[in-house]
Amino acid sequence: MLEFLAEPFMQRALLVALALGPICGFLGVFVTARRMAFFSDTISHAALTGVAAGFLAGFEEPTIPVLLYCSLVAVAMLWLRERTQLLNDTIMAVLLSSSVAGGVVLLSLQRNRWAELDKFLLGDILSVNWTDVGVAWGVAFFVAGVLLWKLTPLVLLTTHEDLAHVGGIRVRAMNYGFVILLTVAVSLSIRALGILLVTSLIVLPPAIARSLSHNLRQHIMLSFIVGVVGAGGGVLSSYPLNLPTGPTITLTLSLLFVLSLVVRRLRRDATDAKPSA
Amino acid sequence: MSQPTTKPSGPAIEIRDARVRLGDTDVLRGVTMMVPRGRMVALIGPNGSGKTTLLRCLLGLQSLDSGEVRILGEPVGPKVLSRVGYVPQRLQLEPSFTISVREFLSLRRRDTRGWFWQSHRRIDSMLHGTLGELGVESLLDRPLAGLSGGQLQRVLIAYSLLAEPELLLLDEPTAGVDTPGEQSFYELISSIHARLGLTVVLVSHDLAMVFRQATWVYALNGVICCEGHPEEVLNADSLKAAYGIHVTPYHHHHHGPQTGPVEQPIAFKRR
Repeated sequence: MLEFLAEPFMQRALLVALALGPICGFLGVFVTARRMAFFSDTISHAALTGVAAGFLAGFEEPTIPVLLYCSLVAVAMLWLRERTQLLNDTIMAVLLSSSVAGGVVLLSLQRNRWAELDKFLLGDILSVNWTDVGVAWGVAFFVAGVLLWKLTPLVLLTTHEDLAHVGGIRVRAMNYGFVILLTVAVSLSIRALGILLVTSLIVLPPAIARSLSHNLRQHIMLSFIVGVVGAGGGVLSSYPLNLPTGPTITLTLSLLFVLSLVVRRLRRDATDAKPSA
Repeated sequence: MSQPTTKPSGPAIEIRDARVRLGDTDVLRGVTMMVPRGRMVALIGPNGSGKTTLLRCLLGLQSLDSGEVRILGEPVGPKVLSRVGYVPQRLQLEPSFTISVREFLSLRRRDTRGWFWQSHRRIDSMLHGTLGELGVESLLDRPLAGLSGGQLQRVLIAYSLLAEPELLLLDEPTAGVDTPGEQSFYELISSIHARLGLTVVLVSHDLAMVFRQATWVYALNGVICCEGHPEEVLNADSLKAAYGIHVTPYHHHHHGPQTGPVEQPIAFKRR
């Protein structure tokens, strides 16, 4: 049934999905708790300028320019938030729309690359090479390691920034550090899900896990596992169903989300029924 | 919780000529105050009088334009803040953040900072000493975001006390707490203060509470307008100096507008 896994391109796609799904799920717990979903959406859309600038600079694979430009946008968002009276949503909307417009304009200057726009908008995980697999796993270990190492400060920061400060945490450095980790994860995941869908890999696993968990430890672990199941399941089901892989990952997660709501509802009904039983 | 065996000398808080300008407003215009150790003091004043700004200066969250702030004999910094407990006005938690009370409290102690890998039983045994007296043990499995105002304040007190602080700073701690909860909260603070000998600074607009619980009161309105025992400070003249309006003590319970040169009684009552 899984003969297609003998195909090296499927092996590589699955390995990349299994690296990125869980770390995006892990990061997503804090992204959603800190109301940063739109932030990650802005970073992913900023990638379009990174892609176009990378092509213009002669990169065949624009991963590094994407990473650099997305990091620049992420730092600019934090900096503007600190230094101006502008609302967060305004800052993000400005940077998102400017980056998309900039990316399209830069791509229009190199018509021979225009056809590759789909690949970055919707992802193309089946085209990853073994170097991409190595990078994905290296980054996954790095991000997971940093998150576990700094878990307590990050949780305190998410709970209340002033309490974190009094607790000896360097709040500003932690905020920038978290945003850089998020940027790295989002930038790399664009290859799998594309600019338009990458936020689903960040937001859906914690939303699914939220319905099933009673505390933060469960939430983090379940979100991690849902990231594995959603990303891996999406890759595996896309081949026999002959569907585009990135959107299938998102739809798998969406299906799990609906199931989680049903389970939550059933559990609540069961709890409500208990006292009268 | 154990009490320090040797009590350090010197004031808990020293502020000399602290000045802070935010935008076009001089929020603090030369605040000087000294809080001896072991007192339970209240900082009162109308909205915009600089109470929260002064508290933020004590916590190192707001820098001074000029002047000096020292707490527990040291300039404000991470080292001395480890000896300070802080209870914020409220936590604005996203409901999707599932942190439980147990996990939140674990963040405060060095021996429970590995909470993610530790069993509940092990964490509970480490937290037990502080929790029993505060009545939060029954809340350990509850999500922090789902607590009532009164429950949350107790949890925040427990969180602060877990690090055995020498100075406890509370910023309008009963905002959003109902009246019975408010009363029991202040009784709890009072008993903690009496038993542990902490220095407690309460920022409050609740004059009735100040009259009942504090041993010393500072009335702030950009500068310290007056200070003294509650019965000395909480009289119409002193309050007028701080609030800029006529204040009639022991009126009906209604917190009306507290700024502007309007001859309007703001309410507090003695309970």
